[in-house]
Amino acid sequence: MATAGADLIRQMAAGDRQAFALFYDRHAPVVFPLILRIVRERADASDVLQEVFWEAWRDAEGYDPSRGSPEAWMITRARTRAIDRVRATRRRSQTFVAPLDEAMAAAPADPAGAAAEQAADRGTIRSALGRLPEAQREVIELAYYAGLTQTEIADRIKQPLGTVKTRIRLGLERLRDVVKTSP
Amino acid sequence: MTHEPFDTLAATYALGALDGDERAQFERHLAGGCDVCEETLRESAEALAALARAEPRAIPPPEVKDALLRRIAATTSPRLERPQPRRLVWAVATLAAMIVGAAFTGTFVASRYEGRLGQMAREAAALRARVQQDEAALREQIAVYQAAVDLLRDPTTRVVTLHGLGPSPEATGRVIWHPVSGGHVFVANLPAVPAGSAYELWTIGDGAPQPAGLFRVDASGRGTHRIAAVQGGKPVKVFAVTIEPEAGVPAPTGPMVLASK
Repeated sequence: MATAGADLIRQMAAGDRQAFALFYDRHAPVVFPLILRIVRERADASDVLQEVFWEAWRDAEGYDPSRGSPEAWMITRARTRAIDRVRATRRRSQTFVAPLDEAMAAAPADPAGAAAEQAADRGTIRSALGRLPEAQREVIELAYYAGLTQTEIADRIKQPLGTVKTRIRLGLERLRDVVKTSP
Repeated sequence: MTHEPFDTLAATYALGALDGDERAQFERHLAGGCDVCEETLRESAEALAALARAEPRAIPPPEVKDALLRRIAATTSPRLERPQPRRLVWAVATLAAMIVGAAFTGTFVASRYEGRLGQMAREAAALRARVQQDEAALREQIAVYQAAVDLLRDPTTRVVTLHGLGPSPEATGRVIWHPVSGGHVFVANLPAVPAGSAYELWTIGDGAPQPAGLFRVDASGRGTHRIAAVQGGKPVKVFAVTIEPEAGVPAPTGPMVLASK
């Protein structure tokens, strides 16, 4: 699966438009919900989605399989571009970041009960995030989905910077362990 | 310094939350080469990707894919022009065949057109000769008209009418005549003469008719002829035209076709 994905990117680098179409069909359904969750406006999400895949086509030659799966490559790009969009919008509108619970409400709801019915790995991951101590889950979500830096998170949750760092590190360690143990 | 602080920096960096001096510090550390941090970053990216994969799917708007494919088609088509080796062989073979074909065709076309061009050159030469003839004829005709007009300016010039006689009653003619300079005869409705014959003009004064030249008519029955002045300036009373042998005769022998009163 991962190898096939890397092959697609190689073909894209060689200018194969059909490979790009396959690549898009494979990854857009995963990337789009993430972008939508971060930017929250469907029109903005469509713009970001297009930019992310355009960059993937353009930068396909720079993909290094040893540094991560095609999916991680795309999701890292998508998350970065989506956060860029949110920050730009935030600067323009001069408003501060929306309350986190509002952001969560705008995201497609997936209550714990429904998560149990998802495919095994999906349920594992979601429950992995859900099973994190609330303090760790909060900082990861503020960083990853709201695009706050460690300093902004510290300000926001009124905790020392060192505490934020520790929670981030512990939370990510837990998530990495879940991924490593679920093939 | 232990590596432990970098573990924390790597995790925060992976989340995109590292800022300030620490970010610069970590990037320097990474640039220096650190397999442990690379590993942490890679695993973190995969874990976060798995988190995204766990999100409920949402169908992307179909117009995004359409727009991307259009954009790619519009800007990157040259990248597709890399020919496969097999196609390259075919392309070379086809090109070679085309060159050989063109050489044959070229020779064939050249030989054909050489003949055709030769013929055209001959036709052009003939046409040029005809045009030169026509031009000469026209100049001659203009010279005749010019001379006639010059004569008409002179008050002593007479215009004499000729009438058809015998075999050609519809024939008509005019003579523009000057006693000293001579003149011109213009005829119309005269039939072509039989082969070996010509029309001969006569001036008749006191005495025998004097030969005044031979002429022919064109297909429409028209003809003109310059008449030399009569020797001695003797007055001419009658102009007449007869059909004679084409070499001309000193005294009329054939039928009279035109005459002035």
